[in-house]
Amino acid sequence: MQSNQHAAWPVAGGLRHGANRGAIEPTGRIVRVTQLIVFGIGSGAFLLIATLGFALVRRVEGFLNIAHAELMSISAFITWYFNVKLGWHFLLAALVSIAVTALVALVIARLVYDPIKHLGPAILLISSVGVAFLLHGTTAAVVGVGIFGFEIPRLAAFSLGEVFVAPYRIVLLGLAAVCAVGLALFLNRTRTGKSIRAMSINRDLAASRGVDITAASRATWLVTGVLAGLGGVALGVLGTLTTDLAFGQILVILAVAIVAGLGSLYGVIVAAFIVGMAMDLSQLVLPGGYRPVIAFALVILVLLIRPQGLVGSRERAT
Amino acid sequence: MNWAQLVTTVVTVGSILGVVTLVLNMQYGHAGMINFGVVAYFAAGAYTYVLLTQSPPSSLDQYVVGLDLPVWVGFLGAALAGLVFALVTGWPTLRLRGEYLALTTFAFAEVFHSFILNEQRFANGTRGLVGLERPLRDQITFVDYNVFFAAAALLFLVIVYLIFERIVRSPYGRALEALRDEELALITVGKQSGRFRLEVFLFTAPFAAMAGAFYIWYTTLALPELFTAEVTFIVWIALILGGEGSNRGALIGIFLVVVFEELVRAIPFTTVRAAQIAAEVEVAALGLLLIVFLRWQPFSSLARMRRRTG
Repeated sequence: MQSNQHAAWPVAGGLRHGANRGAIEPTGRIVRVTQLIVFGIGSGAFLLIATLGFALVRRVEGFLNIAHAELMSISAFITWYFNVKLGWHFLLAALVSIAVTALVALVIARLVYDPIKHLGPAILLISSVGVAFLLHGTTAAVVGVGIFGFEIPRLAAFSLGEVFVAPYRIVLLGLAAVCAVGLALFLNRTRTGKSIRAMSINRDLAASRGVDITAASRATWLVTGVLAGLGGVALGVLGTLTTDLAFGQILVILAVAIVAGLGSLYGVIVAAFIVGMAMDLSQLVLPGGYRPVIAFALVILVLLIRPQGLVGSRERAT
Repeated sequence: MNWAQLVTTVVTVGSILGVVTLVLNMQYGHAGMINFGVVAYFAAGAYTYVLLTQSPPSSLDQYVVGLDLPVWVGFLGAALAGLVFALVTGWPTLRLRGEYLALTTFAFAEVFHSFILNEQRFANGTRGLVGLERPLRDQITFVDYNVFFAAAALLFLVIVYLIFERIVRSPYGRALEALRDEELALITVGKQSGRFRLEVFLFTAPFAAMAGAFYIWYTTLALPELFTAEVTFIVWIALILGGEGSNRGALIGIFLVVVFEELVRAIPFTTVRAAQIAAEVEVAALGLLLIVFLRWQPFSSLARMRRRTG
């Protein structure tokens, strides 16, 4: 498991750092900044989908699920298998894969996390590292070394003025909006959603007031699995896949969750775009390899200045 | 399979990682601080040692600093680097605990790893440094060098073990356990819990950093991929396996993990694909072990029982 894989977002060709970086004319610089902002919005949309499920588990089940990114990886490779190996239509493959991922999330929760819930969030966190190892090793052993991609139509980027926009990123932005609004509606308007919220505030009280804790927990894991599944599919659509990809993703997901404030869901919407934008804009001054450093510099800053995060609940971090 | 060679490797790697496990055990097992960036101290020591002792850069190299100092200066420099790194990471995180401390230490380690990976001028970036010198390589003629080195690493482990055991049994060690179990009680009797946290970081990190120097001697390589979060996780797995809170348990844990890893590595594979599958299955198996041991905690309950009776 290596942490030096951060290639989830393909960097635009022709935007490389040149030795003549200082020689770019003022208009060229504005175009470049605009272009990076457009990229940042795309990265933010992906991070939003990827982090929502992670934040939901933190909120409801009370721990950081490090294995979340490996679920994304599983979803990406199941989609790849159906799509490329079996030749299914991409959308069908993605749907089946998302459903399977949701089930995997539920099964893992029942088998691994539920029995040790009484040991506290720290043990659950370490356990989820074990789950991440298990899922990573299994995926890598089955899939093998290499670079994989889906069979989807290649859509050319269209240009607005001098700024290029990739169509799939717009689709992704729409999907992210659907996810965020859908999750909000689910939690606020449906009976299951309301019981999930009740459970996240006070599990015992909710149980004593007749909320079906088991059903609410099951729904939480299924929703998380669906979001992770969607995130995995998005990974494969945006770029190429390797089995090491997920580990780099969990670092950035953690960063978004902390900037948002652990336990906050609405904060994630803002934080995803802040982190995505910061990582892409950092390329103006730093080589692309430093993207995660930017994310973590934000994390360290937030933890030191405002540990409860942007929109965080008043939970004590210190 | 060459058994003598296997034993030498297990003793060497087990001793080096054993020191890191003891450090983690002091931080988590005794003081209750979750450090998910333990590899950073290890790497800081390793790279400082390399910077101090490597020869000045040749035309093919991109690194800038190579002081060509004697080995012992490099070793002490590694310990000092561990101390400085502990100060830098420990001071701002003093107030944090639980998962927040885990995340911040993890973040620091990832930032440091990214720096090693991307900064060509530091140690050639991804390309790293190969063929580094091993201490006393020419003087050791009376015994196989690998055996000598395994013995040296084991000696280092034993010294660290004795120091840590002494600390654990002292009143100071009991104060650390109070920090873990009943912080309020510790504050009530007039101790500053924040200072204790920093002190634990400060006195344990140099040992992890020195282990890093040993690791450089063992591998003769300074590559970023040797110092990933995987090191942190393996040490964690070993600690949970052996039972946190017990130094002896920590050592049992790490030797079990290393034996397991080296046995897998010693299997003669005929194809690259088979070797690759074995490596990944090994990762999966380590994860499974961690899950199983966290759930049933066979050794730590043993250790707890011993502590209660003894």
